[in-house]
Amino acid sequence: MIKLEFAHIEEVRGIRKLDIDFQKRTFAISGPNGSGKSGVIDAIEFGLTGQISRLTGRGTKGLSVSEHGPHVDKTKFPDAAFVELRVFLPGIGKSATITRKVSSPKKPKIVPNDDDVKVALAEVADHPEIALSRREILRFILVEPTKRSDEIQTVLKLDEIGQIRSALNTCQNKLETALQTAAAQVLSSRDALQLHFQISTLRAADLVEAANKRRKLIGLTEIAELTADTKLDAGLSSAAKVAEFNKQSALRDLNALSDEAKGFPDLAKMEAAAIVADLSKLEVDPALFAALQRLSFIERGLDLVDGRECPLCDTAWEDEQHLRDHLKAKLAKSEEARKVQQALLNNGTAVAEAAIRVAAFLESAHKVAEGQGEGGFVRVLTAWKTNLEGLKARLTTVEGLIGLKDRLTVGWLEMPNVFPTGLKGLTEKVSAMPDQTAALDAQTFLTTAQLRLSDYREAMRKNKAAEIACASAKAAYNIYCSVLEDELDTLYEEVQKDFSTFYRVINEDDEAKFTAKLTPTEGCLGLDVNFYGRGLYPPAAYHSEGHQDGMGVCLYLALMKRLFGNRFTLALLDNVVMSVDAGHRYQFCKLLKTQFPDTQFIITTHDRLWVEQMKSAGLVTAKTSIAFHSWTIDTGPLVESNQEIWEEIAAALGKGKVEAAAAALRHHLEYVSRHLADQLGATPQFRADGNYELGELLPSVLKRMGDLCGRAANAAQSWGNAADKEAATKRGASLAASNAAMSVEQWAVNKGVHYNEWANFGRKDFEAVAAAFKELLASFRCETCESWLHVTPRINPEFLRCGCNEISLNLKPKPN
Amino acid sequence: MATLQRQIAEKFLAKLAQSREVDAEKIDQLRKLLADQKRRVKAEDFLKIFSLPTGGDLK
Repeated sequence: MIKLEFAHIEEVRGIRKLDIDFQKRTFAISGPNGSGKSGVIDAIEFGLTGQISRLTGRGTKGLSVSEHGPHVDKTKFPDAAFVELRVFLPGIGKSATITRKVSSPKKPKIVPNDDDVKVALAEVADHPEIALSRREILRFILVEPTKRSDEIQTVLKLDEIGQIRSALNTCQNKLETALQTAAAQVLSSRDALQLHFQISTLRAADLVEAANKRRKLIGLTEIAELTADTKLDAGLSSAAKVAEFNKQSALRDLNALSDEAKGFPDLAKMEAAAIVADLSKLEVDPALFAALQRLSFIERGLDLVDGRECPLCDTAWEDEQHLRDHLKAKLAKSEEARKVQQALLNNGTAVAEAAIRVAAFLESAHKVAEGQGEGGFVRVLTAWKTNLEGLKARLTTVEGLIGLKDRLTVGWLEMPNVFPTGLKGLTEKVSAMPDQTAALDAQTFLTTAQLRLSDYREAMRKNKAAEIACASAKAAYNIYCSVLEDELDTLYEEVQKDFSTFYRVINEDDEAKFTAKLTPTEGCLGLDVNFYGRGLYPPAAYHSEGHQDGMGVCLYLALMKRLFGNRFTLALLDNVVMSVDAGHRYQFCKLLKTQFPDTQFIITTHDRLWVEQMKSAGLVTAKTSIAFHSWTIDTGPLVESNQEIWEEIAAALGKGKVEAAAAALRHHLEYVSRHLADQLGATPQFRADGNYELGELLPSVLKRMGDLCGRAANAAQSWGNAADKEAATKRGASLAASNAAMSVEQWAVNKGVHYNEWANFGRKDFEAVAAAFKELLASFRCETCESWLHVTPRINPEFLRCGCNEISLNLKPKPN
Repeated sequence: MATLQRQIAEKFLAKLAQSREVDAEKIDQLRKLLADQKRRVKAEDFLKIFSLPTGGDLK
């Protein structure tokens, strides 16, 4: 898989032109709703896969990448819409650039265009599931078991495995049918051989004895043993071999056919009646009939799918996978039709075997008729045999059987009216022929015997080959099913275990004993989760929506881990962290950091505070996060450079724009105060609406930080830790000095001289204000990782820490 | 081929070889078929492989 190094996005979705330096590291994008965050995810997904999930799937009918991928002002110029991504491919240790235009999403430009690079990028393109949006996470949790099974199978690409199993099953069924046909041929040729030899059991010794009797008569050497190479007529001259007509054998064939014909009316009668009954059932149940027709039609269509255009109706789909999913869904609805289909085919095969047997008898009579110059009867037999051959082919398909109802009702064999008299006449003609001399009889007996032995051997060979093919296919199918079942059981066990572990990491404070149970049954995947030790219940039964969101993310991560293993290096989490409440955010960051240290997450959230918490937790840094402060249709997302706030203020002041600098500082202080109040556990006067003013937050933050520094110094003193005592004291002193120097509290508390007044300052005056606040805020940050300090745990904190643990001040004094 | 599919295919081929129901030539053909990422496997593909001649004759 890959990691993202850099992205250049132009005219895609809501973005006009945007560059982001991802640095192969986890990256956070924040901004209010509608500021263009999801557009970035869309663009990355498009760059990697050629698809945009938000424009496909449920509820997106009428949307497409080609029409709705470009910026709304560029829909007529899709060439202008493109994404250029520089990626790193860890598997081969190479970087590459992939440029994909909306006008030709399937033909990205790849540099370098090396085979290994193309293979690696093709694998990524085959995995759109690396992008997860919030509307998708609940599909794992809040769906009925059958749909969950489908969703998870789709994510894990198990549908491909299902396709292989289905193809193996179809193959073994077809080979089973072929084996039945081959076996019928063996029986027919054996009957013909036994009839000629007039033996009831086919034994090599009997054949040799009968042949040697004739060979001896005409002075040929006797055959010692019947081997695979034995020729019963060996030694006969070529001229003698041509005269293969043997009167007695011919009469036996004709009499056998005559006897067999007496049973023709009852031949495969029950099977034919069963087919007629099933066809009648279809006639009175149009829905079932339609389902059956669709079944074969769709199965054939599914086999022919090659691209995004439906081979059945020419409709163009978003992509080939959507078309396949659509056809498979239709197949799944036809279970009853499938049962009828199987019954029809089984009975059809039985009738076909009977037809093969009849055709074998006709073949013998046909040869006799030809030899006797009975042209009229030969034509009758030829036509009938051809008829039965055609029938045989139609009996093995549902479409063929549907058109055979009338024939199967009145008598499928369609014996010609003139057959009985023709057979009788031919038999009489042969009987009336003078008996052959003993020598000629012996010659023709041997010639005919050899022909029939060859036919039998050929039938045996074919049957043996069919047996081997059938056994191979059966073994392959059974083994595949067995391996598949074992692997899926293992997979679900591992997913279940990982899912539970991940969820416990996030909720270790209140659900440390959380467990989950995935229960796979045919076509379904049940999910039950433990609710505070009270038993297993469906996720939606008792857990809050926030917890369910958390479960969705955890199950997704568990699936990704199983799907990619150590190649899970990139995931795009679009707004999926929004429901993780403040109390569990550090744990969520811990989950990503500890369980997926080699995975680059691109995370979007509307909550700017959340990103600050990610920074404090060390998941991202100022350099690996950006904030969009707004969006316009003409400009796209407007990026706020948090990490360069002081440079931004200095730049504004450099241009004499004090008002702009004041606005930037005010904005920055507002969110930093809110964030620090949360991080440090400050206690401003409670407001039910949560709408705290800067003047309320900042003083309480300053007080809290001063208290914490004092507690840390005292604790260090009690433990005899001089270094920590000095660090805590120094930080507290620095804070106090900055605070006193600029009377921050006065600024903050007195709304009358509030920050709007800054706009009326001169440049020099405001530079001093900005510098003082910069120094003040530095007291709250780690100089190394630049994260804001936080207390941990949140309740009854024991440490004051930064994201990299460079700062880790103990708050608990040594017990007396 | 994704990890899971590859695992299943490899275990399938290994077990098939142990079963001795399918000869080495066919297993080799199956391996090539399942490794082909560019096309979906169809019943006809398996039919061709399992119908390959393996000899046998009347003794």
